[in-house]
Amino acid sequence: MYNEVSVFVENKPGKLSKVAEILGNAGIDILALDLADEGQYGVFRILTAEPERAKDVLSDANVAVALNKVAMIEIADQPGGLVKLAKALDASGLNVSDAYGCIIERGKRAVFVVKGDRLDAIEAAARDAGLTALDSLA
Amino acid sequence: MSDLDERIGGRFVRMSRDEINQWQGEALRRSAMQAAKSPWYSAKFAEHGVDPASIASAKDVTKLPFTTKEDLRLSYPTGMLTVSTDQLVRMHTSSGTTGTPTAIFHNQDDIDCWAELMARCLSIAGATSKDVFQNMSGYGMFTGGLGLHYGAERLGMMVLPAGPGNTARQIKLIRDFHVTCIHATPSYAMHVAERMLQEGDDPRSLGLKRAFLGAEPYTEELRLKLQDVYGFKAYNSYGLSEMNGPGVAFECEHQNGMHVWEDAYLVELVNPETLEPVEEGEVGELVMTTLRRTAMPLIRYRTRDLTRFLDGECPCGRAHRRLARMVGRSDDMLIVRGVNVFPSQIEEVIMRHKWIGGNYLIHLTKAEALDQMTVKVELAKGEFDGSVETLRNLRSELQRQLKEQIGFTAVVEVMEPGSLPASEGKAKRVIDERQ
Repeated sequence: MYNEVSVFVENKPGKLSKVAEILGNAGIDILALDLADEGQYGVFRILTAEPERAKDVLSDANVAVALNKVAMIEIADQPGGLVKLAKALDASGLNVSDAYGCIIERGKRAVFVVKGDRLDAIEAAARDAGLTALDSLA
Repeated sequence: MSDLDERIGGRFVRMSRDEINQWQGEALRRSAMQAAKSPWYSAKFAEHGVDPASIASAKDVTKLPFTTKEDLRLSYPTGMLTVSTDQLVRMHTSSGTTGTPTAIFHNQDDIDCWAELMARCLSIAGATSKDVFQNMSGYGMFTGGLGLHYGAERLGMMVLPAGPGNTARQIKLIRDFHVTCIHATPSYAMHVAERMLQEGDDPRSLGLKRAFLGAEPYTEELRLKLQDVYGFKAYNSYGLSEMNGPGVAFECEHQNGMHVWEDAYLVELVNPETLEPVEEGEVGELVMTTLRRTAMPLIRYRTRDLTRFLDGECPCGRAHRRLARMVGRSDDMLIVRGVNVFPSQIEEVIMRHKWIGGNYLIHLTKAEALDQMTVKVELAKGEFDGSVETLRNLRSELQRQLKEQIGFTAVVEVMEPGSLPASEGKAKRVIDERQ
């Protein structure tokens, strides 16, 4: 299982650059970023290679930050690369609440981040289909 | 009840200064002896070493102990009651400084006296039984509703118990039933006028003659503006639930200071720090002792309202002295939409939530003449677990709990940790931008 970084921000200009700057200055590479908008405020979801360090650095800057467990499945970065995983998830009947992909090596490796009630079962379903569930991006 | 004079206690209204002083001495003694029948006051008087039977004149009031809002909270619910509960016919609660409200009890005589005082107020402002009265004040526990209602009925006006809100309906009622007098908060009266003007309607066309304004402080400028836009005469009203409610002090036809009914209330103005009487004409905290209440008399109650007496005789000739507009509070209580709110009530709600930090700010503004309250809180950095669902629920839960506590809807804004100004020393919890 992997850790996604969640950041609480008010819905005002400058929040994205504030977070990007804090992580950039600490030498932390952002792989993917998503925003859940709740009107007056929102939550950034950030995928990085160093989630624990990202959390520490943001927390030191007085930002409300948390780590959330997700399943991260390695897939091939080519047309059809997602099919095997998608079929495995469909067949499993497990509830998937959110998902997104991220390229690690263009033309070669990508990861697919999956969230749901039963992450362990999601990882097991992926493994049964011959895929790898990652615990680290080091 | 025979005629108007009896209904408004005419003999009290006509008392000279000497007669008032004489009456107050006897009434104070009676009131203190009645109060001594309650567990609270019998203990307090003993603690203070004072025998209420020894009260010989109004000046002896200084022998008696003060009563505070905190005392009402400590004696809640019936510590200050002097009669058995089966003799009671009404009770009202009002906001306490914390979650505990205060309770005021009335027997039939108390209710009749309150109605007499209220009818008296309306009468000196020129209202008669020929008037039609719309009460746009909240009913329920809020004393502005039933207080005005009973007084207006006693005077013989036809009363429309409209309550607040639903502006279109208010306007229709005024027109359909040829209403001549209204009771509302000054901000609500302004709100209705602005709405009418926005819709191309003319508030003057309502034909209102008199407005009784209270429950919140407001300026002379706003009174003049309201009179101008509606074409009515607006009279200031002062009251507090501890002293029944409305009916404590009211303007006469000269609209220059509110006559306080000194047959019913012994009034002192004290320095809020030293509790000594202030000099003549100086501003002080209003301290009141009930002289005509039986079920639950209050002795030297600290209202926390600051004001002064107006000099000299009123042209109307009545000897009951006039109070100036309230100039402020000697505590941190706020009045929002006519409702008393203590910052500590809000703090109590905020502190229940571990996701919310201890720093908060109450931001008061006006929108379309009505008070708006926004409570800004900070997310507690260490508690955030990434859940959007929890955040969403947190905000709506806070708003719901605040509404339960203070009685109206305040908007809650959840902000990032450290975004509110940190306080050095005493925290500034309120920013009031209302004019």
